[in-house]
Amino acid sequence: MVLLDIKNLTLEIDISGSWVKALDKINMVIHEKQIHALVGESGSGKSLIVKAIVGALPVRWRITADRMTWKGQNLLTMTVKARRKIIRKDISVIFQNPINSLDPLLTLGQQLQEMLPTDNLTKTWFWQRNKQKRELAINLLHKVGIKNHQLCLSSYPHQIPNDVVQKFMIAMALASEPKLIIADDPTRGMEVTAKTQILKLLSRVNQVKSTSVLFVSHDLLAISNMASYMTVLYCGQTVESGDLLQLRKRAFHPYTQALLNSAPSFRKDLPPKSPLSSLDGTIPTLHNLPIGCRLGPRCPRARRECVAIPQIRRVHTHFYSCHFPLHWEAK
Amino acid sequence: MTKVLLRYTNLVLATLFVLSLLSFILAYLFPGQAIENLTGLRLLELTERQNSELKYAVDANILVQYWHYMGELFAGNWGVSFSSGLPLIEDVSHYLPASIELSAYALFLSFFIGLPLGFLAALRHHKFTDYSLLSVSLLGYSIPVFWLALILILFFSLQLGWFPLSGRISLLFEIPRATGFILIDILLSDSIDKSAALTSALRHLILPTLSIAVVTTTLIIRITRRSVIKTLNSEFILAAYARGLTPRQVLMRHGVRNALIPILPLLAMQFPTLLTNAMIVESIFSWPGIGNWLIQAIYQQDYPAIRAGMLAVSVLVVIFTMSIDLTIRLTDPRRRRAERATI
Repeated sequence: MVLLDIKNLTLEIDISGSWVKALDKINMVIHEKQIHALVGESGSGKSLIVKAIVGALPVRWRITADRMTWKGQNLLTMTVKARRKIIRKDISVIFQNPINSLDPLLTLGQQLQEMLPTDNLTKTWFWQRNKQKRELAINLLHKVGIKNHQLCLSSYPHQIPNDVVQKFMIAMALASEPKLIIADDPTRGMEVTAKTQILKLLSRVNQVKSTSVLFVSHDLLAISNMASYMTVLYCGQTVESGDLLQLRKRAFHPYTQALLNSAPSFRKDLPPKSPLSSLDGTIPTLHNLPIGCRLGPRCPRARRECVAIPQIRRVHTHFYSCHFPLHWEAK
Repeated sequence: MTKVLLRYTNLVLATLFVLSLLSFILAYLFPGQAIENLTGLRLLELTERQNSELKYAVDANILVQYWHYMGELFAGNWGVSFSSGLPLIEDVSHYLPASIELSAYALFLSFFIGLPLGFLAALRHHKFTDYSLLSVSLLGYSIPVFWLALILILFFSLQLGWFPLSGRISLLFEIPRATGFILIDILLSDSIDKSAALTSALRHLILPTLSIAVVTTTLIIRITRRSVIKTLNSEFILAAYARGLTPRQVLMRHGVRNALIPILPLLAMQFPTLLTNAMIVESIFSWPGIGNWLIQAIYQQDYPAIRAGMLAVSVLVVIFTMSIDLTIRLTDPRRRRAERATI
């Protein structure tokens, strides 16, 4: 069953008087029980997509989409209230920077209890309800592997190490028993053991509760272990999306290939002391975006036709948008 | 906790020491004999015996002199005024409460008007309400206090006759002095018609309070607006929205406290400005406060009075700002040390 269906999502930002497309025709479909990876460089608009889905964007930015539905309900045309209800109930977000996305003046316990849906409480009196809330909160903490719940619940966000706060954020995300968890670069800046714990936790949630996960990251290694489906983003455009294994085996878009090549762990044929490959140049700023395919200036295969925006083409479940895809001649 | 308290006490003591030193040095900087400026006594008018006692202290080392000065200061012997010959401590404790009363009301008034308006402007950021509040506050900020006070007198007292021109209370009332704060004194006294006295006192209060409060209100609006906008754009507010909380919940649970904590020290810093404005307004409205008294002292070159008044006012300001700072420092959980423990 399709949970989230996004077609041609465009986000325009007003930068000193002119409207710039920060996201340009994004397509994404998230199915039930799926771990969907969203990959791209920093500044490619990954977090913007997340914010657009949950509606946490400034009001002045313009969002348009042909389709943006949650289980068939249109998210863009529904009232703000209805949308908030859906998000409260079905979608949870884990943010990049866990400490900054928690209120610095409230204890973690207060913030976790705020997230518990009130319909799950069976008791009637408020002291009973408070006690039940506390028990639920402690249960959640145990689920994500925080053992010292007493200390954790009574601490303020800045008093707790980063990876524990991230685990706590996952507990918060689980509080409403959502259908979809959006993890926006949850392992950023963490050392390997903490990272593995977080990733394991997310995959376990996916397996045990059959929750879908939209995993936003640029950590290809982590993604290839977890995800089944991948969407590659470059500078606000989706360049390629498809089954992860297929994508790894045969990427059509030069950018996807470059991305895969840039991760040394994927290249078993790499001889020692050989230079690591990377695309020349950097991602363009929003002030001067190239026309047509935005990869154009950096693309090793670019030709004159690339100044026109490439259409989305499809091979089975594999979508790509490129005029001159790799493996084309071979096909 | 105790460390913080100790540090603040230390800071207050150091500041007060510098202030006392300044006031002591002032006596040497003013024209005339230092001993006259310190005590307010004219040497020529004293008996031989008193004179010799003073001489004994004057001829000593300057540090010993300072020691004597501090001793007298703590004993409550601040010298006498040149012009009236009354003990200064009585004068100061008579006039200071009137000023504190006026400033406190003005401060409360500007808080009550400024904070909600600042929040309103921030919530309607980039909209008509925001811009109009901003321009009104700019207007209020640029009006000089003395001019505003005169305009208010001209319009409300002379033209319309709604409010009295000057003073604290109608001369018909004889309020027995207990605390020095007139509204409290009225409530404490039992010999007079309380409601009539209260009305009269309030009518006298309105114009001076208004003219002081305008500048502070506009400042508070601007500071609050900036801080609220900054808070509402911060990451945890967006995260709270993303968790599906309503705007009302977000503002009340996460917005207000976070917006207020950084601005309260700034608002406390407005107190000295307010007091300065109060001094100007006092002399315009003939309010019997410390400002009016100090300005009179300056006119009459009453050096002991200037010294004592300056010391009293600055000590008041220092203690007030420090205590607000300390309260915020102790209540802000972000500043609390992490107790290191494994979780």
